[in-house]
Amino acid sequence: METISVYGSIAEELKKEVRAFRFGNRLSDAGRIVACGDGVLTIEGLPNVKNGELLYVGGDKYALVMNLETDRVGAILLTDSYELGEGDIAYSTGKIVGVPVGDMLLGRVVNPLGAPLDGGKPIESKKYRPVEAPAPAIFDRANVNEPLLTGIKAIDSMIPIGKGQRELIIGDRQTGKTAIAVDTIINQKGKDVICVYVAIGQKISSVNSVIHTLREHDALSYTVVVCSTASEPAPLQYIAPYTGTAIAEEFMHAGKDVLIVYDDLSKHAVAYRAISLLLKRPSGREAYPGDIFYIHSRLLERSAKLSEEQGGGSLTALPIIETLAGDISAYIPTNVISITDGQIYLESELFRSGVRPAVNVGLSVSRVGGAAQCKAMKKVSGKVRLDLAHYREMAQFSQFGAELDSSTKAILGKGARLTEILKQRQASPVSMSHTVIALTVMMNDLFSDVAVRDVNAAMEGFFDFLDANHPDLIARIEETQVLSDEDEKLIREYLGAYKGNVAHAVDEVRAAQHTAQGAQK
Amino acid sequence: MMKRHSGVVVQIVGSVVDVQFDNHLPAQNELLYVIDRDRTVDLEVMSHLPGGICRCIALEATDGLSRGLEVQSTGAPISVPVGEQVTGRVLNAIGKPVDGKGGFSGASASIYRRPPALTEQSPVTQVFETGIKVIDLLTPYAKGGKIGLFGGAGVGKTVLIQELISGIATHHNGKSVFIGVGERSREGYEMAQEMAESGVLKNTALVFGQMNESPGARMRAAFTGLTMAEYFRDVQNQDVLLFIDNIFRYVQAGSEISALLGRMPSAVGYQPTLAQELGQLEERITSTKHGSITSIQAIYVPADDLTDPAPATIFSHLDATTVLSRKVVEEGIYPAVDPLESTSRILEPGIVGEKHYATAKRAIETLQRYKELQDIIAILGMEELNAEDKLLVYRARKLQRFFSQPFSVASVYTGIPGKYVPLERTIEDCNAILDGKCDDIPESAFYFIGSLSDIEGYKA
Repeated sequence: METISVYGSIAEELKKEVRAFRFGNRLSDAGRIVACGDGVLTIEGLPNVKNGELLYVGGDKYALVMNLETDRVGAILLTDSYELGEGDIAYSTGKIVGVPVGDMLLGRVVNPLGAPLDGGKPIESKKYRPVEAPAPAIFDRANVNEPLLTGIKAIDSMIPIGKGQRELIIGDRQTGKTAIAVDTIINQKGKDVICVYVAIGQKISSVNSVIHTLREHDALSYTVVVCSTASEPAPLQYIAPYTGTAIAEEFMHAGKDVLIVYDDLSKHAVAYRAISLLLKRPSGREAYPGDIFYIHSRLLERSAKLSEEQGGGSLTALPIIETLAGDISAYIPTNVISITDGQIYLESELFRSGVRPAVNVGLSVSRVGGAAQCKAMKKVSGKVRLDLAHYREMAQFSQFGAELDSSTKAILGKGARLTEILKQRQASPVSMSHTVIALTVMMNDLFSDVAVRDVNAAMEGFFDFLDANHPDLIARIEETQVLSDEDEKLIREYLGAYKGNVAHAVDEVRAAQHTAQGAQK
Repeated sequence: MMKRHSGVVVQIVGSVVDVQFDNHLPAQNELLYVIDRDRTVDLEVMSHLPGGICRCIALEATDGLSRGLEVQSTGAPISVPVGEQVTGRVLNAIGKPVDGKGGFSGASASIYRRPPALTEQSPVTQVFETGIKVIDLLTPYAKGGKIGLFGGAGVGKTVLIQELISGIATHHNGKSVFIGVGERSREGYEMAQEMAESGVLKNTALVFGQMNESPGARMRAAFTGLTMAEYFRDVQNQDVLLFIDNIFRYVQAGSEISALLGRMPSAVGYQPTLAQELGQLEERITSTKHGSITSIQAIYVPADDLTDPAPATIFSHLDATTVLSRKVVEEGIYPAVDPLESTSRILEPGIVGEKHYATAKRAIETLQRYKELQDIIAILGMEELNAEDKLLVYRARKLQRFFSQPFSVASVYTGIPGKYVPLERTIEDCNAILDGKCDDIPESAFYFIGSLSDIEGYKA
């Protein structure tokens, strides 16, 4: 019995000790990996490690702290796990995950930790920014009031984007989503806008072709490419957009206008889902974790137009989402739609029937860009969207053999020509003044006698005619950003003079296109 | 003076922080704060665990916190300023000013309390006019009632709530409270700007816990704003307007941390406590014998799925529901109200009057019949319909278009000035369309007009 009471008192002592045990500040900054698999590390030790801290695990390997539990630390590997295992040591770095930022990044291709991928010299910067940062507060913002022109007629007129806006590009695979983003970057040439292109989970060859296109159009010099490809671990893909944003924010806070493209956030969501499931967090709709909305909202809220007191810079975001079979109302698409200030919806049916860019006007919208449009554009584009939406609805209804009154016929004819004029090739940006003139012609039904298929050629002929005879008109619209009533009258007048040449111009444009195609072959 | 205690952070997982205390555990819902060198991070106690541990939600980001940091209790739950001092001001989720106009010194109240007793509450019986045709006619709103605007992403909930604010709040004599929960910061900025310009701001308190903030902040913003509205109702006996954009985000914030709190997930990954959490909030938004709260709540419908547990649970708390649909958006009709899905409890002859009731019933019947005929038209074509049905189809389509309306808050984008249409006019015009008085007018003429008198050549 004696022994039992001794054991009893030892147990009591131990209990007392345990109760009195406190997690204090101990000076030690290393821990031992006790489990390692699927890119998830469980580490014992690291008593002072911070939530979100970067850990060094030897070689060129880093990990990110996700969970701080009572007796262990959960971390995710940002690199591959080759040659890493149980018993290895993880060191605290004292740093929250950050990237080098600054001008030296322009023209470079880096991974989400800021390491160069373009074979160039290492990025050296005195300045680091944490990849996660709070969004500008409500009263540090200003109204979106300056246009960011994409050079795409359909978008600049109907779905205008303003500096500081978040406009989603959404559509099935192979509908030209990346093309719109890349065209927009190309159109920023000479406009003093810095661009950041973030590739998330893309295949290397696609990223390469984007870089190639940018270089070809002299657009790489004002662009930073942040690249995490499909073969890289999910955690690295997960932090890529935050890295890109941190790089962009440095420029924004310096008072500059910045454009960032996230290509694409569907893959980002998938990467985060993988991490969450590996960390054994419960899942909800489509197996995504509960905070899947928050990872995108806190990312996209960092895009803003800053107030004058904050330097007046802006960060415009073009996130891309890939839908499946055109299902715009799936979980991730609706989540991101509810965060952004509008969406450009691309449709594969339109794409296949030759409408390119394949923008579905009815479902595309820009919630703030209208206020940022210049006066000239606002004047001509006000009704384009509605006219096209009514055209589409009417075209559908009239298929069922309803009798067509003359007003319906007029809507159909106008709609078909408008659709035609809004078609545009890739990487061939159209200036604001050209879009304004083209729409002035279309909205006033001045081309109603031109066959639908000839509309674009006839318009090109008209621009040649203007360049040759009246170059001042275009220059004036570009400079004043206004379409005065006199200029509108002039457009009608010049068009009257040009009208006789329509047939000739159409033939000429056709012939030129033919030769160009021949030359390409 | 409440006794304050200090503890130590022992675990951090996402937004959930465990704190160990020596002997005295702070009560549930008590506010604590972590001291991290030169900053503090607020926590709220959610539950007690064995071993003297409080499981808390962080009201800010937890990045950079570490185990072993000291935590102080405050001895009380979150309490926020109330009364006249909050009108004209912009506050964050826990009642701190964010407009840079200085702190508050007046009365304050805890954000937690019970809903008014059964005997204190009063039923709603009085219509209030919004000037929006489709709403006034088909889903009339009640003074002191609870109104829900349901819609998926990007179908126009926020624009509709802004139009209602500009239409109602500007003519409202009492106080208003606007709560932004989990929505865009840009909208918050614009809302504050517009209210300042229209002069509404001086009678309005704005509370924001937007989508960039931690789930804890988004969960508490609604309670903070509601506490201010309750004070106006109960202490100042006022009729209060309460706008919440968006109540779904409150549920969503709860579901984000539910699993981290150690609860089993329920249907579609939501928290098991979804119905209670909503009940605790919604039951407090009510009218009493002394004052009323007329609430207009936007409800996001995830993945356009009205059967999702969150919107489905919210439905039962409301007196009138206006459902916005993507299908109507595709037809180019704004506001994109789906007339067949939207309902109102006060659409009864005893409350709205015989004429209004009959007209609304007739309009719904016509639109329902058109919906049924659409399948036939799609297969057989218009020509196969009999003359009566053909006429019905054309009138129904005109009615659909008549229900579109230019909004004053959207005039920047559309270039069309907003139109307020009195209920009487709407009833008359609706009858005129259904009686066939507009059969000669092409349907495109009905897009974005106020009353029929906006159509050139129309004579009543």
